[in-house]
Amino acid sequence: MATNRWLATGNFFSSYREEQRIFFTALDRSALLAAVCLLALWPLLVTIDSKFMLVIDTILVAVVAVLGLNLVTGFAGLISIGHAAFVGIGAYTVASFARLLGENHVVLTHAWPLLILLGGLVGAAFGALVGLPAMRLKHLYLAIATLSFQMIFQWVINFMDFFNQGQTIAIGRVAWPGGTVTRGQHYLFWYYIILTVIVVLAFAVRNLLRTRYGRCLIAVRDNDRAADAMGMHPGLTKVYAFALAGFFAGVAGGLQAYLYRGVGIESFTLHHSINYLAMAIVGGLGTLHGAFWGPAAIKALDLLVESFSSWVGEILTISGNLATAFKPLSFGLVIVLFLMFEPRGVANWWRIARSYVKQWPFRY
Amino acid sequence: MKGNRLQVAALAVALLVPALGGQCLAAGKVHKLGLSLAITGPTSDAGNPYAKGVEDYFRLVNDTEMLGEDTIDCMIRDDQYNNDITKRNFEDFLAEDIIFYLNYSTGSTLALKKDFEEERIAVMPASFHAGNTADTNYVFLPIASYSTQLVGLGEYVAANHNEGVAKVALFIHPSAFGRGPVEDLQKAIKAGLKLDIVEVVEHGKDLDNTAMLKRLMSKGTQYVLTHTVQSPVATMLKDASGLGLTAKSFGEAGKLTFLGCHYTGGNDLVALAGDAAENFHWVTSYIVTNEPGPGATAQLQLAARYGRDDKAANSHNYANGMMVAQVVTELIKRAKAGGGEVTREAMHRELLAMNGDRSFSPGTTVGPVTFSTTDKAGVDTLQLYVVKDGLFHSSGLPFTPVYTDKIK
Repeated sequence: MATNRWLATGNFFSSYREEQRIFFTALDRSALLAAVCLLALWPLLVTIDSKFMLVIDTILVAVVAVLGLNLVTGFAGLISIGHAAFVGIGAYTVASFARLLGENHVVLTHAWPLLILLGGLVGAAFGALVGLPAMRLKHLYLAIATLSFQMIFQWVINFMDFFNQGQTIAIGRVAWPGGTVTRGQHYLFWYYIILTVIVVLAFAVRNLLRTRYGRCLIAVRDNDRAADAMGMHPGLTKVYAFALAGFFAGVAGGLQAYLYRGVGIESFTLHHSINYLAMAIVGGLGTLHGAFWGPAAIKALDLLVESFSSWVGEILTISGNLATAFKPLSFGLVIVLFLMFEPRGVANWWRIARSYVKQWPFRY
Repeated sequence: MKGNRLQVAALAVALLVPALGGQCLAAGKVHKLGLSLAITGPTSDAGNPYAKGVEDYFRLVNDTEMLGEDTIDCMIRDDQYNNDITKRNFEDFLAEDIIFYLNYSTGSTLALKKDFEEERIAVMPASFHAGNTADTNYVFLPIASYSTQLVGLGEYVAANHNEGVAKVALFIHPSAFGRGPVEDLQKAIKAGLKLDIVEVVEHGKDLDNTAMLKRLMSKGTQYVLTHTVQSPVATMLKDASGLGLTAKSFGEAGKLTFLGCHYTGGNDLVALAGDAAENFHWVTSYIVTNEPGPGATAQLQLAARYGRDDKAANSHNYANGMMVAQVVTELIKRAKAGGGEVTREAMHRELLAMNGDRSFSPGTTVGPVTFSTTDKAGVDTLQLYVVKDGLFHSSGLPFTPVYTDKIK
């Protein structure tokens, strides 16, 4: 191993402990630190429209949700097509307080970190509940079970008066030590909050994967019978994977409720579940940073297709129908192309780029 | 030589500066507006002609210099019926400094209501959901709410039904949009409206309504009041017609008479249901183009001027879009006439003052547009239309439901 770790080409481990480090090299650690600093500082240096800040915040919320989905689908290998329902549970946990106490009650405006955490915990509880069938179901059957949960969730919200039958439940503006967050500060404030949550949760996932609980997820994914033979409990591991995913999704839901200052069923439909799954696939299932690439890629695709449809609308008279088709067409096409040609997602491009840089100037 | 060049340059500047300055002063102001709606995706069958109506009327305003040298720049964005995109569009419009905002769906209007309030910007959605105007001073419905429309239909049934209390079923969209008016109709019944609601059906994406229609018949239903979009109504009408259950005239005994609110009717319904749409009763506050009148002529001329096809030109949603554009143009005119700046505050103020002598008749509606601090619905009168030979014809005079005030 090179004595100067900054100049190391490739990773060399001389002990199991070394292999389990959070950062393999000092460069990794420094690069991540620099990236976090950059993410924290750029809004202070660049003035950006609320529209774009909202897009960025929405991507970050999706990152939190996809981190959870990646745990259950990417690391534990359990397909979930009801993830938006878990996000919705987090959001509706916050909304329930708004219904009970009023949108501007001090609990909602001042204890918001606790409510977001509570959203995660309620999401985890429902995740564990939905995970129970996973003890006996696999593959498509499990997919149908999670789909059923999505449908039940939508039905319950749509028909219960308490949840305003799916209509928007307003959430008041939050307060922090500097006073009430104004409309002008809103998106920037939530940018920093969501960014902080992401950093904490991403480290939690990275650490989880270093523990036996994290390795259990991967072992059960790769071969649950072998994992069982080695003393792990595949059933409980699956339930706990769903609970973890539910927690992440619930936190994302709580953040979304505050970011959008309201909760309505239209943001938690099956379409959104499929969107989250697409983000996980495009980003790279079973990779931590895939959860960052996927939401960014899918949201960027959405914006590009919108602009393209608008451009087509200006030059073609049949634009109405054509533009209607563009979004699902491009969305489906991207998923199929990734599944066919890059099943490891954008994360794999990142891995290749890093390997190239790390081994440069050698080609192997 | 150098001195000559400087003199020429100085002369050019001296001549050009006043000329350019004068041109700038004469160029007039640009009044920015925003419209976010579903041009594509769900409900785009209504959103598409609506957008064309708005776009064409503002083009007419600019082309004919209706505001003198001032022009209107209405940014139209497709939100694909997605609230998240609507919110993004709205933020985009705010960055462009709009003075008035045109919204579309019930869901997005409810979701953005707090933003409208904070931004103090007047908003006119294409959704006539009564809940849009609750707890806000800035949302204004172009015409009578869905609740008023459904109560109006109920009143018509009660007034024209011959024997005892009419038995009605409600066929509604499974959403806030659909459910909103049901409670108000129930309130009207409690307040004395002679109707008996035998069933409230929230439709799904059914391809066949035979079982439902048979069930309604077995319960003695005589009238079906619908409040949804056109395609489920068309499916139901075709099934009823196939089963021989459609009344040939209003209230025919042993048959079902179908009636519907604004978004159930129009030419698209006739195109979808064909002959089965005959005798369908529809209520709205807009005029129809097959009945001659100044509003219909203006609508058809506008569509022809900008090369719209017959479908768009004759759509009641084209009239809908045209009408909100007319109202906004009138507000700008009045704000300008007031002598002050045309700002958000001025637009809101003029909207609230649009009543009494200052009410506005756009011609595309069956009554005048009136707003005030207590009246958030523009056109309060409704017109009943009935399909005869594939066209909607007005039946009776425009009316205002009496129970709307009783249940407030």
